[in-house]
Amino acid sequence: MLITCPYCGPRDVSEFTYQGDGNRERPAPASQNLDAWNEYVYDRLNPAGDHNEVWQHSGGCRSHLKVVRNTLTHEISSVVFARGHVPHRSPTKRGSKA
Amino acid sequence: MSPRRATSGGRIDRLRTIRFTFDGKAFTGHAGDTLASALLANGVTLFGRSFKYHRPRGVLTAGIDEPNALVTVLRGDAREPNVPATTVEIYDGLVAESQNRFPSLKWDVSAVNQLAGKLISAGFYYKTFMGPAIGPLKGTRFWMLCEHFIRRAAGLGRAGRAADPSRYERMNAFCDVLVVGSGPAGLMAAATAADKGARVIVAELDARLGGSANWSGEAIDGMPAAEWAAGLAEGLKSHPNIRVLPRTTVWGFYDGNTLAALERVTDHKEHPGKGEPRHRHWVIRTKKVVLATGAMERPLIFPGNDRPGVMLANAARRYANEFGVLAGSKVALFTNNDSAYHAAVALQKAGTSIAAIIDVRPNVSDAMRNLASDTGAQIHTGHAVVATEGSTALTGIKIQRFDSTNGVLSGESRTIQADCLLMSGGWSPTIHLASQAGAKARWDNELQAFLPPEPTQSWIGAGAFNGSFSTTEAIAEGHVAGLAAAGGKAAANDDLPVADAVAGDPAPAAVFEIRADGKGFVDFQHDVTAEDVRLAHREGFVSVEHLKRYTTLGMATDQGKISNIPGLAIMAAALGKPIPEVGTTRFRPPFAPVSVGSLAAERYGDIRPERLTPMHDWHVEHGATMYAAGLWHRPMIYGHAGETIEQAYVREARTTRETAGIVDVSTLGKIAVQGPDAAEFLDRVYTNMFSTLAVGKARYGLMLREDGIAMDDGTTWRLGKNDFLMTTTTANAGKVMQHLEYFLDMIWPDLKVTLTSVTDQWAGAAIGGPQARAILASCVKGTPVDNTALPFMGIVHGKIADVPVMVCRLSFSGEMAFEVYCGADYGTHVWQALIDAGKPFGLVPYGLEALGTMRIEKGHVTGAEIDGRTTARDLHLDWMLSTRKPFIGSAMMDRNGLASPDRLQLVGLLSLDNRPFNGGAHIEEELDEQNPHGSIGHITAACYSPALGRYIALALVNGGKARHGSRAFVSDPLRKRFGPVQIVSHHFYDPEGSRMHG
Amino acid sequence: MAERLSPLEPVLRPGSHGQFEDGVGVVLSEVAPGSIVQLAAWPGQEKAVIAAIKKVTGLALPDGGVANGQKAAFGFAPAKFMVMDEAESLSEALTKAVSPETGTVTDLSHGRTAIRISGPKAGWVLAKFFAIDFSLVAFPIGAGRSTVHHDIFAQIQRSAVDQFDVYVFRSFARSFWHALCRASEEVGYEVR
Repeated sequence: MLITCPYCGPRDVSEFTYQGDGNRERPAPASQNLDAWNEYVYDRLNPAGDHNEVWQHSGGCRSHLKVVRNTLTHEISSVVFARGHVPHRSPTKRGSKA
Repeated sequence: MSPRRATSGGRIDRLRTIRFTFDGKAFTGHAGDTLASALLANGVTLFGRSFKYHRPRGVLTAGIDEPNALVTVLRGDAREPNVPATTVEIYDGLVAESQNRFPSLKWDVSAVNQLAGKLISAGFYYKTFMGPAIGPLKGTRFWMLCEHFIRRAAGLGRAGRAADPSRYERMNAFCDVLVVGSGPAGLMAAATAADKGARVIVAELDARLGGSANWSGEAIDGMPAAEWAAGLAEGLKSHPNIRVLPRTTVWGFYDGNTLAALERVTDHKEHPGKGEPRHRHWVIRTKKVVLATGAMERPLIFPGNDRPGVMLANAARRYANEFGVLAGSKVALFTNNDSAYHAAVALQKAGTSIAAIIDVRPNVSDAMRNLASDTGAQIHTGHAVVATEGSTALTGIKIQRFDSTNGVLSGESRTIQADCLLMSGGWSPTIHLASQAGAKARWDNELQAFLPPEPTQSWIGAGAFNGSFSTTEAIAEGHVAGLAAAGGKAAANDDLPVADAVAGDPAPAAVFEIRADGKGFVDFQHDVTAEDVRLAHREGFVSVEHLKRYTTLGMATDQGKISNIPGLAIMAAALGKPIPEVGTTRFRPPFAPVSVGSLAAERYGDIRPERLTPMHDWHVEHGATMYAAGLWHRPMIYGHAGETIEQAYVREARTTRETAGIVDVSTLGKIAVQGPDAAEFLDRVYTNMFSTLAVGKARYGLMLREDGIAMDDGTTWRLGKNDFLMTTTTANAGKVMQHLEYFLDMIWPDLKVTLTSVTDQWAGAAIGGPQARAILASCVKGTPVDNTALPFMGIVHGKIADVPVMVCRLSFSGEMAFEVYCGADYGTHVWQALIDAGKPFGLVPYGLEALGTMRIEKGHVTGAEIDGRTTARDLHLDWMLSTRKPFIGSAMMDRNGLASPDRLQLVGLLSLDNRPFNGGAHIEEELDEQNPHGSIGHITAACYSPALGRYIALALVNGGKARHGSRAFVSDPLRKRFGPVQIVSHHFYDPEGSRMHG
Repeated sequence: MAERLSPLEPVLRPGSHGQFEDGVGVVLSEVAPGSIVQLAAWPGQEKAVIAAIKKVTGLALPDGGVANGQKAAFGFAPAKFMVMDEAESLSEALTKAVSPETGTVTDLSHGRTAIRISGPKAGWVLAKFFAIDFSLVAFPIGAGRSTVHHDIFAQIQRSAVDQFDVYVFRSFARSFWHALCRASEEVGYEVR
């Protein structure tokens, strides 16, 4: 499987670490709502089809990526930086000036 | 001249003679021969014994699909079993052996299994050995009794016991177009794509490029096909855009157009070059794949179809045309399609007499009749072979009138004398890789074959792979595929080479099996007969997936290459359904066997890299016994002559507590936490406060996971307002880094913080003991180190031996201690300066064992206690849980289950029988050596304590804190260690900390 | 000041090794720059950090990276850069040039070891370890890549057509050096 890191370009899945379900929302830090925390820490979606996932390019630029992957076909339809404000540039593109 | 070598012809080098041995007997062949072709040329017909029945077997094919002629190749003491003789290139000194025979290939005692055939039919193992033990000769216990004998008698080659001295390597490759197969279609595709500017890799599993052009005997563009192909292949090899990989089997097609291939780099060489790997595991990432993998000829299923001397028709054609080897001297052919006629022509031209062609079809075309009459063969249309004669070699065949519409045999049988029977049951495109890539194959009723599915990834098929069996079609499709793969389009006026061949009808008759008395083999390698398939059907195993598992049809190296379609056809007939409704199994990687060494690649024999500290060489030179702690190599002890490990660490720990000791702590994980929000970030990730920490001070910190479980601990130093140096335990450095990065990227992206692993930037030495400060004072320049300048948890900057150092006063040993950090490249320099400065004071270097001993005495926790199950409270670290702020894990850590008083809690243990403890041993309230039970906890770390003069341990015990002062027992049945213990506080030594505070 | 001791120095065996009879395929050496410094820019401050690099080193950081023999710089992650200099005091100079509002400067001069592999087979040998494309079209001169070989993280800069500088963690350097030598045997290698 290849994941196209927005910075590094397409890389082998062995360079990445799966960091879980990308649909989870962390409660406010001071929240005492245990149900919400429980849902965040333990509940995971397991869809047959497109899934929002978090991967870290741990063997590369170490960015965290939001990946939409089809769990039936492994097809990856979207990869973006988890940090929205990071410029999306891959080195292959950096060779040519716009 | 060898008895079966044609006087001329073939792509072998007749001027080069190669000497090799098979089953201890010396043979010769020519350069370019395979082991199979060379042995056939020498008149050898018996190659092995079959899997279950030990039937004599010859060679069935000329390629990777060979099920019978599996041999063991020996190199020194290393054995490689189950290699098809058809794929072994001979070299001077090659040593090969036949398999599954005892005492010899010719006289095999287990051949008696043939008489017991009914007893070991399909499902034999399941029926006999599975299920409850009812009676003595059934069930799993009976299996345990018989296993040894069965494993010895059944099966294939024997693996060696000697280590494989070969080298293996991995190679990562990238290209625009990967062409799999180098027959006419593949050659054309590669040349066309490369000319269009694409980066191309061509993988060919054989040594010679050219595929069918090497043996078709056809002419292309007016020259012999083999010469045409050789010319094209030369062009590819010198093309700047093309990498040609001969002897390379593409065996896996994975997601994202990633393909795996095995290159046999030196298997054909007598003396591999220096540093050359035996196999190279290619991982090829490509934009497009051209699958030009050709097709495989199928056998026909009839009684005795496995007798040595029975061969696939076009395999014999290949032996004749490519190797100049005659499969027999008097040959009969048995076919359901036209391709056998071309084989007959090839053999006749090479010098064989063709006795007869038996064709199941009632009529054949005039073109084929003409070919047959050119060979002098008599054609028996509407006939079938019903038996073969001979023992370890074929002597004749029996034929009978046959109605191909209903399979009915009629009339008298008659015998035809022949020493070789060539069969052709039609062709199956080699669609394995396409099948691996995803979609289901589709059945073509005219070609009676599964054709590749619609492409699911970026691959394009060409030639026989598509069911386009003529060379002219292959050339045209290869051209189109090459253009398309490189992003171009073919034009109608493209001037393409044309093959000059007598056109045959690609469609075979829909005949797979001749049902007559006797065993007709579907899977030769596993001795699965047509009757076994029907038995499976009668017993209810009607799904192809069940059929495969129940009968072993198509398993192991075969992977359905030979047996797939005939097996399906027989099952379909039994079910009364058309073949496509029965379906086919999905092909999975690998397409052909892969050496495990190639997958381990450069890690073979060398599992992990070593991480070395800056002072590594010093430790080794000074007698340290090194110990692998994860990837790190650390001194365990610096033993003196005659000391045991225990004596050494006790001496090191005692000396440290009495005078001073120094230990290399460079392995501690170190993370630079920098930026205006660094303090805020640390407040969120640690359970205690860091924003209040003054510059030039350090603080001990604890991290929890989100679920409230303890994760890691360590000290963090504030080097500047925006600049912290966090330390982690050695083992958790990577995990903590990822944890922090996750929160910074995913949860708090607004924080301005940079995290950098600086573990390797710093060399660290911890020096502790009553004399530690005096030693430092004698060598540190530029700063005082007294209590005022350097209080507990204080940091100063100075120089040792001219090198800038940071000194932090903190203690793991419980003594007055300091950690001295400097740039890693100066590590040994500073370490040596400290050693020299410490000499007058009696300073000793100490290793991990003494370090562990002193931390156990102090009751400090490490990864053995922070084991992913314990909470801060379990470890008596609740004093570190700030109530003034939320932090990671703060919301979840107070859940009922995590706050329960009867959880496993950290305690100390004293040995009451003066014997040592082992980590992992259980603690029980009552001792029952015969039947240990009722564990209340376990030991996490143990040592002999020089400070207490007894054996002690740290343990996690149920409700441990309430048990202080009570007695229990250590129960370690595996190591036969039982005995009384006293449960005490984990603070064994100097609980007030008076020593380290000085 | 004392001599800096490289982790490779005790194991370097200058000379030709492996199958070098027909010429060496690669030359292996340690670069040992005086300074290896990492810079990170806060969001929107990337240009300011690039300007600081230019001011201190004179290196105009184009889209990928640049190497001139004495100094080198390349991007290795979003808004992060590695800067190398033969001289030792780069970290101090960059710290002065990059304010806390702009980004951070981290000295890695001792923490990373730079190994240079050059020659016609340099890409071939590196491809045994790293699953990245070493062809010139995919990996232009000056550009940097972050990648990994099992446990060994590496930042690689192409400093010339047939030359790569591989930055690995110091503690792994010796192990990686041995692996690199072994992988180079079949093409013949020279250690300088």
